[in-house]
Amino acid sequence: MPMPHLTRMPSFKAFFAILLCVAPVATIAVAMPPNPENVTAVDKPGDAGATVLLRWTVPADAGATNARVEQRVTRDGASVAEEWTLVEVVAADAGSGDGFAITDLPPDSASSGSSLPIAFRVALIGSDGEISPFVESSPVVARRNWFMTSRLNLLIVLSIVCGAVVLWILLARAGRSVKIRRIAALEAIDEAVGRATEMGRSVLFVPGIQDMNDIQTVAGVTVLGHVAKTAAEYDAVLEVPTSRSLVMTAARETVQAAHFAAGRPETYDAGRINYITDEQFGYVAYVTGKMVREKPAACFYMGAFYAESLLFAENGNSIGAIQIAGTAEPSQLPFFVAACDYTLIGEEFFAASAYLSGERDQLGSIKGQDLGKFLTGAAIIIGSLLATAASLAPSGSFASASAAYQAFFGG
Amino acid sequence: MLRRTIPIIILSATGTMLVVAYFSPFTLSWGETVLDWFNILAAVAFVLGAGNLLAVNLEKVSSRKAGWAYAAITLLSFAAMFIFGIFKVGAVPNPSAPDVHLAGAYEGLPSAFGWMYEYVLSPLTATMFAMLAFYVASAAFRAFRAKNVEAILLLGTAFIILLGRTAAATLLTGWIPVDSAFAVLRLDNVTTAVTEHVSTAGMRAITIGIALGVAATSLRLLLGIDRSYLSKG
Amino acid sequence: MSAHSSSDSNNSASGDSSNAQASRWIWIALFAVGAIGLACNMFLRQDGLAIRHVEITSAERVQARVVIGAGADSLAKPAQLTSDAAPLAIAAKIWVEPQDPRFATGEITRVDGVAPVIWETQKLLTRKEAAANEALQTHGDGKPAVVGANELATAAPDMQISFADTFGVWIAAFLTLAIFSFLYRDNPIYKVAESLLVGVSAAYWMVNGFWTTLVPNLFAKIAPDLVRAYAIPGLGVSEHPQQDMVLAFVPLTLGFMLLWRLAPKGGWISVWPLAFIIGTTAGLKLVASIEADLIAQAAATMKPLVAYASTTDSSGNAVRAVSVWSSIGSIVGIVGVLSVLVYFFFSIEHKGLTGKAARVGIWFLMITFGSAFGLTVMGRITLLAQRLEFLFYDWLNLS
Repeated sequence: MPMPHLTRMPSFKAFFAILLCVAPVATIAVAMPPNPENVTAVDKPGDAGATVLLRWTVPADAGATNARVEQRVTRDGASVAEEWTLVEVVAADAGSGDGFAITDLPPDSASSGSSLPIAFRVALIGSDGEISPFVESSPVVARRNWFMTSRLNLLIVLSIVCGAVVLWILLARAGRSVKIRRIAALEAIDEAVGRATEMGRSVLFVPGIQDMNDIQTVAGVTVLGHVAKTAAEYDAVLEVPTSRSLVMTAARETVQAAHFAAGRPETYDAGRINYITDEQFGYVAYVTGKMVREKPAACFYMGAFYAESLLFAENGNSIGAIQIAGTAEPSQLPFFVAACDYTLIGEEFFAASAYLSGERDQLGSIKGQDLGKFLTGAAIIIGSLLATAASLAPSGSFASASAAYQAFFGG
Repeated sequence: MLRRTIPIIILSATGTMLVVAYFSPFTLSWGETVLDWFNILAAVAFVLGAGNLLAVNLEKVSSRKAGWAYAAITLLSFAAMFIFGIFKVGAVPNPSAPDVHLAGAYEGLPSAFGWMYEYVLSPLTATMFAMLAFYVASAAFRAFRAKNVEAILLLGTAFIILLGRTAAATLLTGWIPVDSAFAVLRLDNVTTAVTEHVSTAGMRAITIGIALGVAATSLRLLLGIDRSYLSKG
Repeated sequence: MSAHSSSDSNNSASGDSSNAQASRWIWIALFAVGAIGLACNMFLRQDGLAIRHVEITSAERVQARVVIGAGADSLAKPAQLTSDAAPLAIAAKIWVEPQDPRFATGEITRVDGVAPVIWETQKLLTRKEAAANEALQTHGDGKPAVVGANELATAAPDMQISFADTFGVWIAAFLTLAIFSFLYRDNPIYKVAESLLVGVSAAYWMVNGFWTTLVPNLFAKIAPDLVRAYAIPGLGVSEHPQQDMVLAFVPLTLGFMLLWRLAPKGGWISVWPLAFIIGTTAGLKLVASIEADLIAQAAATMKPLVAYASTTDSSGNAVRAVSVWSSIGSIVGIVGVLSVLVYFFFSIEHKGLTGKAARVGIWFLMITFGSAFGLTVMGRITLLAQRLEFLFYDWLNLS
């Protein structure tokens, strides 16, 4: 109800006059920051459903240093709401751009797939700790999405690499030349097995000390197939001590297949492929003991190796065996290189099985690997040149191109 | 069909499914689940491993083959360790359930299993590992005799790094002032330069090559091109 | 295998017999020297014999029943309840120390007719600890002189000579020497150690697999009540037991297929689980290698060829200046990566320009290997030093 007589009263006039004078002073003394504006909460797209992006803008000249972010779960629509809880006190401008990512959502909404809406509210805090009123966002549901956007770059690179391999397999089938350079270590396999046969000694194959969940072991077992085939053709004795039960099973399958492929199924003897022990050095003790006692003429070490690599290779050396090693364990390559006759280094080891098979499809896949390598090299050169240009002109358009390029590779 | 086609279908389907699963938040945990399954399978496969170990050694003992006594030692020690561990012989009870014997810890002293680990297994493996010191020396000596550029580079670098990481670095090149133009020649600086630039580059290229090799190997298996693990028998 | 090994042993048997004779004498001599040295050490030095001491404490647990709603105190102490007995809370019967304060407050009561369980725990003492304890015990015998100065110290713990551990140290020393003897040549003592190592370690990993994988991850999902009763009393109750059981049947079925190999017929079915495992490995590693190795390493290589460093000029202003050494470093890095990649090319013969680039790649590889070699040597010598320390310090008691 209006009070028309009020302003006419002298005391009230004086009061307003004082108020008008004091008001600006009071504002300065209290310095309450203005309300944050445009507070919106959105579900982060392309994630596992545990993140919400909260955005807000800070009015110009607000003088706010921090922002206080709170959250609450809303059950059954808006009728039952829980208490507001503090999420974090962040820098005032944290809500600009992509927004402030909130990952520690309340348990029952963070467990992916829940449809509980969560509301957020933001208040700005001034340099002296004074806090503005809260501004609430509309509730949002953190949904689990079908595709993880953060792995898009991985998907692209994966498609390119796999595409290169598949492309070359198809080209090989279409009759393109699949000539591969000579790999000395692989050419030496025949010679080594042949020599063992001539000397009447055995061939030893060590498929590493890891289980079948290591791709190196799988690669080692595929190489074993080719060595076993050669041994079956020459009628050489092939011994395969394994350090894992599953590897023993896989090796038996593979060697048996090799004997069939060589047309000598009757010479397959499962008794030569044995499980020794899972213990790294127990296995080494057994194999090195066997080496010095039985003196195999050829030793193959193909798979995942650790410290024991040198124990094998040096003992093999002491008995004068031809030694061919292959591993992708970078820390053990030096020892094999120093003590073995031939070493398949990293990628060569993975190409070995395909190389030895001589099949067009498999040789094509090696060509595909090369295409992948070429593209990687090109990507590195482009990245370096962009980075150099960005470094020479830090504010130019190259800088943003380089940044975008690096971001794609997760840099 | 059952022996050759189905395994390839199983392999391709499992592998492809896991690749796709990696990209969707709904299936992210599949990788972990199958790794759990793998561990269970590996543990089940111990039955095959143990069966093989027993069969080979029992055969040696019963036929009195040369060295059958060693096979007997393997058999006895295996049986003892296995019984000690499975039945938790001499294990300290679990304080929150002392009446359930098998709830106790199987490892650690003073259980029989713990004793065997502490005084038999652990010294044996540690000594095998320690023998490497001698083999490193003999490997270096062997490479030294090779007398080609590669061997010289390998051993030369090894030698410099070894010196650079020990007090010898200060002894040999410590007199070069740190702020002089020749500071790069100080052994500790040479070591850092070699490890930071040259060997890091080498390692990176090896790793990139391995990544491509792994990808191609996996693809060959998933596409059913490499089937060497399949016996025809 | 049999034919081969016997033919080999024939070969060695038909070798130079005088050589075998000589080696036998060398062994006997070595043993004699070792035995004499050991005896001298044992009898001529005060601490010449390795002896292990243990500290013994006894533990007791009594069974108690949780009284539900026994006053406000039960709510006030949830931490204590969970730390001691959470796993068994389902059973509402727990094992507690006889002096548990909750008896007094009435939260728990003794279960009648269940005898308390008493056992001893042993703590292996180091040589220093044992010596300190021994000093305390001899002082403490009827001479409570130190009381007041340090009451804790006078309460010397119950220390005993542990025959099992003393014997263990001797066994460990013997086995250490047995393995080292291989450096001279293969011999019966090494063979004993080797056979022992194989047997013990195979069983070790099998037991490990049983208790850490099969029981908690397979049996506990299929028969949780059984596992709770006999092996893991603290096994939690799953939120969705049916789902767990169904999922556990997948590896169980695959496991059965794998073991079918032992059956007289149809062993080929074991290829199915094998195919599953290889498929798993291929799928997981395909993605992992591209993500962790290819992309990450390629990104790390993309460095500016001209590196700048922020320095200050003579007047103290911040300026960017070309850093020669860092620039050379990054150029070397990129040349290294590219040349090694060229070395790995399989499509092109290593001739001409490619050959030269590949050659540079090999040099980079050799330097890389050399540096890894150099870095490893120190670690290996440390390992040897540790073994020697065990022999000289722990066994022979030579400080």
